[in-house]
Amino acid sequence: MKKFLSLILALAMILSVCGLAQADELPVITIMFHGSNVTDDTAVLEKVNEYIADKVGAKLEVIWGTWGDFDEKAVDALVSSDAGVDMVFTCSWSADEYNSFARKGYFVKLDELIEQYGAELKAAIPESLMQAATIEGADGKGIYAVNGFKDTATQNTWDINVTLLNELGYTVDDVKNLGFFGWNEIFAKAKEVKGDSFYPFLVEPMVAERMVTNSIIVAGDSGSVNLLSLYLNPDDVSAEGTYGSTLLNKFATPEYKAFVDQMHKYYEAGYIDPALSVAETSNDARTNHQKEASYLIGTQSYAYGYEYSADVLARGVEVTFLPCTEAYVDATASQGAMVAINSASEHPVESFKFLALLNSDPTLMTLLNYGVEGIHYNLNDEGLVVFTEARASYSPWTNGMGNVTILPDTETEGKGFREAFRAYYAGAKSIPVPSFVFDNSAVSSQMASLANVAAQYALALDCGAVDPETELPKFIDALNAAGMEAYLAEANAQLAAYLGK
Amino acid sequence: MTTFAPTASSGKRRLPSARRKKTFWLTTMLLPGAVWLLLIRYLPMFGIVIAFKNYRAFKPNTFWNNIIRSEWVGLKNFEFLKSPDTGIMIRNTLGYNLLWIVLGLVIAVAFAIMMNELRSRLLAKTYQTMMFFPYFLSWVVAGYFVLSFLDPTSGMIPFSQKAAGLPVTNFYHDTTWWPLILTICNLWKNLGYSSVLYLAAITGIDTTQYEAAAVDGATKWQQIRHVTLPNLRPMIVILLIMNVGKIFNADFGLFYNVPQNSGSLYPVTQVVDTYVYRAYANTHDLGMSSAAGFRQSAVGLICIVAANGVVRKIDPESSLF
Amino acid sequence: MSNFSARTGKRRIRAGSFSLNRFSPGTETVFHLVLALFSLICIIPFVFVIIISFSSEESIRQIGYSFTPLSWGTEAYAYTFQLGDALWRSYFNSFLITIIGTALSVTITVLYAYPLFRKDYRFRGFFNFLSFFTMIFGGGLVPTFVICKSVLGLNDNYAALIVPMLFSPFNVIIMRTFLRTTVPMELIESATIDGSGEYRTLFRIVLPIMKPGIATIALLVALGYWNEWFLSLLYLNKNMNIMPLQYLLMRMQRNADFLAKNSSMLGADATKAAATLPSQTLKMALVVFIVIPIACAYPFFQRYVIAGLTVGSVKG
Repeated sequence: MKKFLSLILALAMILSVCGLAQADELPVITIMFHGSNVTDDTAVLEKVNEYIADKVGAKLEVIWGTWGDFDEKAVDALVSSDAGVDMVFTCSWSADEYNSFARKGYFVKLDELIEQYGAELKAAIPESLMQAATIEGADGKGIYAVNGFKDTATQNTWDINVTLLNELGYTVDDVKNLGFFGWNEIFAKAKEVKGDSFYPFLVEPMVAERMVTNSIIVAGDSGSVNLLSLYLNPDDVSAEGTYGSTLLNKFATPEYKAFVDQMHKYYEAGYIDPALSVAETSNDARTNHQKEASYLIGTQSYAYGYEYSADVLARGVEVTFLPCTEAYVDATASQGAMVAINSASEHPVESFKFLALLNSDPTLMTLLNYGVEGIHYNLNDEGLVVFTEARASYSPWTNGMGNVTILPDTETEGKGFREAFRAYYAGAKSIPVPSFVFDNSAVSSQMASLANVAAQYALALDCGAVDPETELPKFIDALNAAGMEAYLAEANAQLAAYLGK
Repeated sequence: MTTFAPTASSGKRRLPSARRKKTFWLTTMLLPGAVWLLLIRYLPMFGIVIAFKNYRAFKPNTFWNNIIRSEWVGLKNFEFLKSPDTGIMIRNTLGYNLLWIVLGLVIAVAFAIMMNELRSRLLAKTYQTMMFFPYFLSWVVAGYFVLSFLDPTSGMIPFSQKAAGLPVTNFYHDTTWWPLILTICNLWKNLGYSSVLYLAAITGIDTTQYEAAAVDGATKWQQIRHVTLPNLRPMIVILLIMNVGKIFNADFGLFYNVPQNSGSLYPVTQVVDTYVYRAYANTHDLGMSSAAGFRQSAVGLICIVAANGVVRKIDPESSLF
Repeated sequence: MSNFSARTGKRRIRAGSFSLNRFSPGTETVFHLVLALFSLICIIPFVFVIIISFSSEESIRQIGYSFTPLSWGTEAYAYTFQLGDALWRSYFNSFLITIIGTALSVTITVLYAYPLFRKDYRFRGFFNFLSFFTMIFGGGLVPTFVICKSVLGLNDNYAALIVPMLFSPFNVIIMRTFLRTTVPMELIESATIDGSGEYRTLFRIVLPIMKPGIATIALLVALGYWNEWFLSLLYLNKNMNIMPLQYLLMRMQRNADFLAKNSSMLGADATKAAATLPSQTLKMALVVFIVIPIACAYPFFQRYVIAGLTVGSVKG
């Protein structure tokens, strides 16, 4: 042990001596990404460092976070003030790190840096995204992360297996006209044709609830199961809905009651796979049914061009996404993928310069996202990207990186895709409270209890697996006992203050 | 101190130096472990203070600076542990643990003794090896296994219920069977592990004791009662005390993954650890998680000291400290 | 002195009658039945894992995890071997970490437990408390992480995957209890009178008697290292080449969990990512890869536990 310690000490000394010797070399900046699947980044980083040496004045290193390690890795790096991680992916949806961590002082306020080095960045990203990232943080109102330009509006759709639908003698228009409450006969027909073990209605229960009741996710609300509802106007998302701009207890409205009653009917009739009603089996079951195309109507939060994505094409049937509403800009979508600079970083300026370049320079973005031309992809005659086999060892999460609208089009997407993508989201309307984010820190104890109560009841109810007549009243009582009133009051007070501005 | 008799004096002088030497050499043995404890366990203990602070980042953003400058909030971080569910949570945690401590002890000791008595060495080895397999499989995998029996669509039990024309049990929304299922899973996973501890302890028993008992004409059952069990007592007591110390901790995976995190089952599966996990997943608040950890430690300390106190009264030799 | 008498005693008994003081064949049959039944229950889930790993993906999508899949397939293993380098390297890492970790850990544990067992050791109470207290109280994850990473330099190296688990108060207590039940104090006293040094007494006289206890602790420690993945998650950032197999598997599992938890927030991205996750069969194939070596190593530890035991039972 002693030997070991002295070994470490000796190593540390050698390292620090080396550090001194290399003092005139470029500083190293490290970025931690999310959801990547990268096993070999040597070729890419070599090119990247060649490219950014003069432009940024630093050398880049990347920590390729995967989906599963994000909660620990990024959070631990931040709360342990790890200076070895300069930049991290952040967002409003995974425990709301962006807003809560900015408030707690973990992120560098970027306004001055943007002023000084951010001209290109400002030009590359819509003003609305800059607005969406502007929040009340530890150092006052400002921008605490570079907001990625991706699918920055929310749109929920019914995912329809058109091949099967036509086989049953119905059309997409029938689905649309009958509406959620009137699909009984279609489902019955499907069950009749496809047999008893076929489940026509493939829901992601929480998404289905929002689609039917036209409610949205309130950023900053309990993330695992939402507690708050804000109702939209489905005919015009920029206008107020039936309840105006008020937050409601999601589970105590007549809209919710109607939804779960109908779901229970569908479930009892055998239209919904019971596996969907259990948290840990829900996702596997849904993915499997989708892959097998063994469904008739499903739910899908949509992103432009999703029809052309590999996983939809692989289903081998014709799929249509029928939107519930037009795409709308809310805080969840507009703070969906950002990169912040750790306030423990020793190189905030270089880090910012790098982020500004990444989000405005197609060469760098393409390099880091798609890899090296000739290794990870080739360009075909039309100039479209065709991935090679090497792409398997280098597939970062595209949307997690920043401004994806400056990427070149790929062969599967077709020419003009990014152009259309950009136009689709640039034109999206904002909801009446586009950048409202609930700061739950004053009611975090209540939220802890409420999250546990909601996890107990919500999924089974949303999926129709339990009887709303008996379970819903119990659920509402349990929520009230856990402090729903205080939680709701705090949220509405904040919303009122937000609207007052 | 100076003495009359030279022999006595030399004897006295020799003894303390021998004792010092002994103490010195024995202490050097402890050193590697002690250094490790100081570095890896004691040094980070300053972090306990986070449980009582509103931890956040300051300038310059270093961990030490943040801890020092964060605002003192007393017991505020502990508030989230109070909830309408607290009763259920504590009932489940305590109830399952008590039941499993007793069952685990009795069955593991019985298994160890049985294996010890088998004439066939090969079979004893085979049983022992097989019993250890559950220890290699994670709760996630065990959860799939349970699912293959209980899955409402393709599980073996609902399938045979359907075939027999019986009403199908929706296991993941029906709490009836879960106390039993969880108990079986717990025993399945831990018996191999604890019986090997007892088995090794039996192996160490001084053989002359059996010989003496045999000479006195003791039957095999009597030998177990009067030789094996008394010799196992220190191990039994130590494991008991340590289990009592962990009585407010639950095996997270067993209560989370095996029931597939089904909400409808919370009345029988919600334990302190799962509650804290679900609370923390929404906030990532360092203060809250530190507070939860601190409370479990404090309760554990009280339980262990109490259990040890009882043991000390009855059998000081076997006590932990 | 008592050392020798115990040994001669053993020899004498072993030569004695076998049939004396045995359970009746009937009772033993009951024992066999009980143990065999439970052993079977223990092994079946592993058989289940093997069956899933050889099931076809399609079968799992259609009827879920089942003992009787619709069709069989070896895609999972084909894919496993495609992982190639990553698989074998992580395999190697698992072995390396387990072997070095176990050797160091057992040494430290024995060295720590032995003085605590010695009633004549002066600072026994202090060191006992020093170790015991950490079993109950800890600084928590993040402070430990900060100390290990920034003070001790445990970051992206093998040491980071070994050092944090090197010592366990639980194992010390178990070892001390083994010592108490197996090693008579007179043995040590007589050795001391014979002028044996403390280290000599420990290694030459106590250790040979302690083999079952040490084998047991070694087994527990080795299993701990073999199953460990959380340290990799915490301390490996850039140097993924030293990742152990268990973490390779856990990463897949955790990716799936994260997507499940956040699917409603991530929308199309989650669906896309979920579609590219490794299949269930692959995960089960990796479980097989993880379990086989340690199951094979098990008899090695068992030799000491059971071998001593059978001798013990014969003489009974």
